[in-house]
Amino acid sequence: MNGLKELEAKQLNFYYSGKVHALKDINLPVYKNAVTALIGPSGCGKTTLLRCFNRMHDLYQGNKYGGEIIFKGGNILASEIDVIDLRSRIGMVFQKPTPFPMSIFDNIAYGLRIRGIKKKLELSQRVEKALNHAALWNEVKDKLQTNSYNLSGGQQQRLVIARALAVEPEVLLFDEPTSALDPISTGKIEELVVNLKDEVTIIIVTHNMQQAARISDWTGFMMLGDLIEFDKTDKIFTNPSQKLTEDYITGRFG
Amino acid sequence: MRVLLRKNPVDLLFLTITAIASATVLVLIAGILYVLFLKSSLAIEKFGILNFIFSTDWDPVRQIFGAATTLFGTAVTTILALFFAIPVAIGTAIFITEIAPNFMKGPIGIAIELLAAIPSIIYGMWGLFTLAPIMAEYIEPALQNTLGKVPLLGALFAGTPMGIDLFTASIILSIMIIPFTASIARDSFNLTPAIVKESAYAIGATKWEVVKNVILPYSKSGVFGGIILSLGRALGETMAVAFVLGNNHQISSSLFHAASTITVTLANEFTEADTDIYLSSLFYLALILFVMSFIALAVAKIFLLRAQKRYSA
Amino acid sequence: MTREHIRKIQSFTALSLSTLAAVIGLVWLVFILGDIFVHGMGALKLSLFTKDPAPAGIEGGGLRNAFIGQLIITFFATLIGVPIGILGGTFLAEYARGKKIAQLISILSDIMVSVPSIVIGTFIYAIMVKPFGHFNGWAGAVALAIIMIPVVLRTTEDMLRLVPWTLREAAFALGAPYYKVIIQIVYRGASAGILTGILLSIARVAGETAPLLFTSFNNSFFSTNMNEPMASLTVTIFQYAMGPYDSWHSQAWAASLVITIFILVLTILGRIFIKWRFGNK
Repeated sequence: MNGLKELEAKQLNFYYSGKVHALKDINLPVYKNAVTALIGPSGCGKTTLLRCFNRMHDLYQGNKYGGEIIFKGGNILASEIDVIDLRSRIGMVFQKPTPFPMSIFDNIAYGLRIRGIKKKLELSQRVEKALNHAALWNEVKDKLQTNSYNLSGGQQQRLVIARALAVEPEVLLFDEPTSALDPISTGKIEELVVNLKDEVTIIIVTHNMQQAARISDWTGFMMLGDLIEFDKTDKIFTNPSQKLTEDYITGRFG
Repeated sequence: MRVLLRKNPVDLLFLTITAIASATVLVLIAGILYVLFLKSSLAIEKFGILNFIFSTDWDPVRQIFGAATTLFGTAVTTILALFFAIPVAIGTAIFITEIAPNFMKGPIGIAIELLAAIPSIIYGMWGLFTLAPIMAEYIEPALQNTLGKVPLLGALFAGTPMGIDLFTASIILSIMIIPFTASIARDSFNLTPAIVKESAYAIGATKWEVVKNVILPYSKSGVFGGIILSLGRALGETMAVAFVLGNNHQISSSLFHAASTITVTLANEFTEADTDIYLSSLFYLALILFVMSFIALAVAKIFLLRAQKRYSA
Repeated sequence: MTREHIRKIQSFTALSLSTLAAVIGLVWLVFILGDIFVHGMGALKLSLFTKDPAPAGIEGGGLRNAFIGQLIITFFATLIGVPIGILGGTFLAEYARGKKIAQLISILSDIMVSVPSIVIGTFIYAIMVKPFGHFNGWAGAVALAIIMIPVVLRTTEDMLRLVPWTLREAAFALGAPYYKVIIQIVYRGASAGILTGILLSIARVAGETAPLLFTSFNNSFFSTNMNEPMASLTVTIFQYAMGPYDSWHSQAWAASLVITIFILVLTILGRIFIKWRFGNK
């Protein structure tokens, strides 16, 4: 089962500050309702690639894309694309929890409010739904109005996932979401990621090969800006076709 | 982090010298308080505390002195200056941190630092020769013909516009404090972690929404500290206002009237005070100014430290 | 109009207003500097530096007395203020590092940096003018030194902290006593930063007027005697600008130009030093 392609990078190139060639001719399909993991040694370009999918690089001057990324039949890298709309359809979760300086409720409601949803009932329903999805509702339902900084690191990260889910994105990008968390919190996030794929398509960058093996359906191995190999996760971890991939997953470098 | 056994006598000597040098700061603060208090004790005995603060008399001939007129001038110029300066300063900081292309950020930062380095006497003289005539001829009549016609509000703009008044002084003071406020606001904005800004962008926020809902709440204690710091500076600024305020010990409802501040009174009258009680009253004013600005600056420092601590953790 | 449009228009409007604010801020700089330059250049003559003032109301003359007076007062202020500031900063960053007292002095110094300078003038008047019965140059120098001390002290402290602790440890490991480590290693590592602090503190006091008004006062005659009232550029500018004569006004503009250039050059030099030493920080 290959399923439908939600996103597809074609001949994707990326240059930092117009000079550093960080991604080289990447061709990567991202299948709908599946988890795609990107692995590789530090500096291989996996995070850079992830940040292309919601045009995060646009926030900094001098960055340049080449090639295309197809989403819903259009190229999201085209200059006429509205990045604000794009980012509400392709959400992102970062390496560290990033709650905003407001209450738990307001954090989740933020993305809805800026889109003009003001009705109390609708807001609270959608906040509850998002928190449920993120498996956080039972832990915070009695303290929705307290400051989000009072939550633990793992709870904050699930809060941030709930915040991203609240605007009902089609794709969620995870940039090493467990790198700042303890093993128990990490387990909860991993479980959550697997459960979420029924509703959203997920791309996850991870440092941790076991994590990729545990939760992803597809895996891309990157090195020095090249996508070395992309295949079903089982295949990558049991019978990779490239020597470099084999060296990496058997721990010979990285 | 004590690393060394202090057995070396030269080392002990060096330690003592440096300790004494750093203690001068404590000695100075205590010394200023003590000397000003001592010198104003004559006036404190004669006029009391509340009586002095609320008395509008300032009469060197009858030897009766009160601080109300100068406190009024100090308060009005300071508040008005902050009112004009804060929006411009915060807008400038937003421009530098979030809008300006990279190649402009450095030069604009330098320009603002230069603006902060220009001595206040230059602002004052420029105010007297350039700004005051412009105010008298164009801006103040224009305000009289517009806002001046509004009932109640009109009282603020009554009188003959001479350009030497509270309004001009406040404008100059605001120009002077814009750079301080802007550079502290900029530094506070920069403390907002990039990753938090990015996560707001990542759910589809516009740039203004990121500024309003993430950066400003994140940096509010730093920005507030910066505003209080500017308030402390404005309270004690002398030369920028001395040229254009007219040293007039009267309280008027109009901003187009000459007035006086504590600093302007000191600058103009200190060397002319011919009696002990006159001089002592001036010291009393200096003491009040020192205490007020010290409190303002201390509060500012607390907020700035809190802002720093929150993000270094 | 959709919600999206409204949000984008809001964003655009708010960002445009911010840009406008920055433009307003910079317009003042250009306006003030331009004005000083235009008026000052017209009045800038060699005689300004070589001649003493003509009697009041009479054309001609210069401000030699004020230039020299300003130099002497600033020189002695630096001589008093800088060593105390550097040594004090050394105590905070080295011997008292991490102690409560160091934090306290550091915070109080920050407050002292912004304390109204005219208050310092009244303080010095009380202890250095009143007891002697006359204004004097020393009083002016000490008043300015008091303003310099916290500036130099805080920059020194910050700059010494930037020197990595391991560098000190390496020197200790060779058996060097702490004072030698400070003088030979730490000061050397922080020299550019300390120099910047000194430059900026001189720039800070060179334009001070209020603390000189009733300490060194003014003197229409040339004098190098620090026990007598001494002319300074800034007090002269105040007196001339508030005075009735056009010739005074143009000399005040010229003096303002000279002082502004001096301070801007010092400020820029300070920035260049720090940039050259610490990169783009």
